[in-house]
Amino acid sequence: MLSWEFPPRIVGGIARHCYGLTRALVKLGHEVHLVTLEFPGAPDFEDVEGVKVYRVKIELGHPNFITWTFIFNHFLEKKVASLSNQVDFDVVHIHDWLTTSTGIAAKNYLNKPMVCTVHSTEVGRVQQLRSPDSYMIDGLEWWMMYEAKSVIMCSNSMTREISDHFHLPSEKVSVIPNAIDTSEYKRNVNKEAVKSRYGIGPYEKLVLFIGRLVPQKGVEHLVRAVPLIVKQHGEARFLIAGDGWSRGHLEGMAASTGHGDKIHFLGFIPDSERVELLMSADVLVIPSIYEPFGIVALEGMAAGVPVVASNIGGLSEIVEHDRTGMLAYAGNPESIAWCVNKALSDYRYSNWLIQNAKKKVDDVYSWEVVAKRVSEVYEKACKR
Amino acid sequence: MPDEIYFLCLLHNVGATSSDRSLTLDEISRWTVMEPQRVRENLEKLINTDYIQKTFREGSERYHVTINGIRKVLSMYS
Repeated sequence: MLSWEFPPRIVGGIARHCYGLTRALVKLGHEVHLVTLEFPGAPDFEDVEGVKVYRVKIELGHPNFITWTFIFNHFLEKKVASLSNQVDFDVVHIHDWLTTSTGIAAKNYLNKPMVCTVHSTEVGRVQQLRSPDSYMIDGLEWWMMYEAKSVIMCSNSMTREISDHFHLPSEKVSVIPNAIDTSEYKRNVNKEAVKSRYGIGPYEKLVLFIGRLVPQKGVEHLVRAVPLIVKQHGEARFLIAGDGWSRGHLEGMAASTGHGDKIHFLGFIPDSERVELLMSADVLVIPSIYEPFGIVALEGMAAGVPVVASNIGGLSEIVEHDRTGMLAYAGNPESIAWCVNKALSDYRYSNWLIQNAKKKVDDVYSWEVVAKRVSEVYEKACKR
Repeated sequence: MPDEIYFLCLLHNVGATSSDRSLTLDEISRWTVMEPQRVRENLEKLINTDYIQKTFREGSERYHVTINGIRKVLSMYS
């Protein structure tokens, strides 16, 4: 398996996806070797619950991002070539465009099928292709799917988006959702203690956002909803966990709402903190304007926090409105505020959503279920 | 994108991601094709936000991207 991120190198959802999937595949009896990029403090090689993880040093750089990705792919490719002298691989599995050239090279010199998982696309992330880099990434995504024997998508909305844009034959596509390890959320957390670490009192309500601070995550719409929420719930406090290039802009916007003292930007938080925050929150808001899946929705559902998510993409498939959470109109602060206010006002309703959500996560989104389906894709790819 | 974040991306992509791969101000200026004064201003902003760390080695000030800085850069592309 090839991925540009694997814990502790955690950028987006790919690292968590690979971490969960590889361990579950090992439990099913597969031998999994994962090649990824170096990260300060992480070993060059480690065995993660049976998964052999190799971190490759990138010995050359370039200021241009795309050029840099081709350079790191060269080092990944060298590692895969060297490993192939010791390991008889059956399938090459890559995640997103970033490791495309290594995947295609490996597929050809190993003469084995390549499977790719598409977590998001450039056209979805930027909404409209404008820059030369975007066109290049879009082309690499097409190339990856063209060369792949099987393409795994994480949601039906993603499948529609990609099939239309890349004219992908439907027989190549399998829709397999993301999953989470629910055991992480089955422990006791002292909510008051967690809240107090962030200066939030026991009678104050914690409204949480977790994600990258980039426009597609729609955090500005949550910030715009803050005055409407505070009007009804003066006890609400807002924690924005995560980092990204639009953080400075969002901090300025938060200050301009007149409620800057109630909105705190935490930056990147480690996984242990992430779980505790989710389990201590009173509402989790996912205001994305583009979200092919939205794994944070599953995390919130497993953690027992009412989820308010945008009615778009994968989120609208995970969250059933009025049953396992609430769906707000995307990019609409009034709609977000209405949902958050409802969750904060009606304890019994929120509790009902939480119970339904927990059951759905246990039944549908476990790594065991997902790994079995990925395993079937591997078998099919090997037979063809 | 703010100038200092663009600058942070350049430093990351050229590989200045640990103390043993840190660069001097002159080296950064050459890699990024930025005037030393602009480099210095960006470095100061990024040191204050803990995205860049300054070290002293072989008699000169050197700079590299911190773990937080790496995550900041990668968050743009994931």
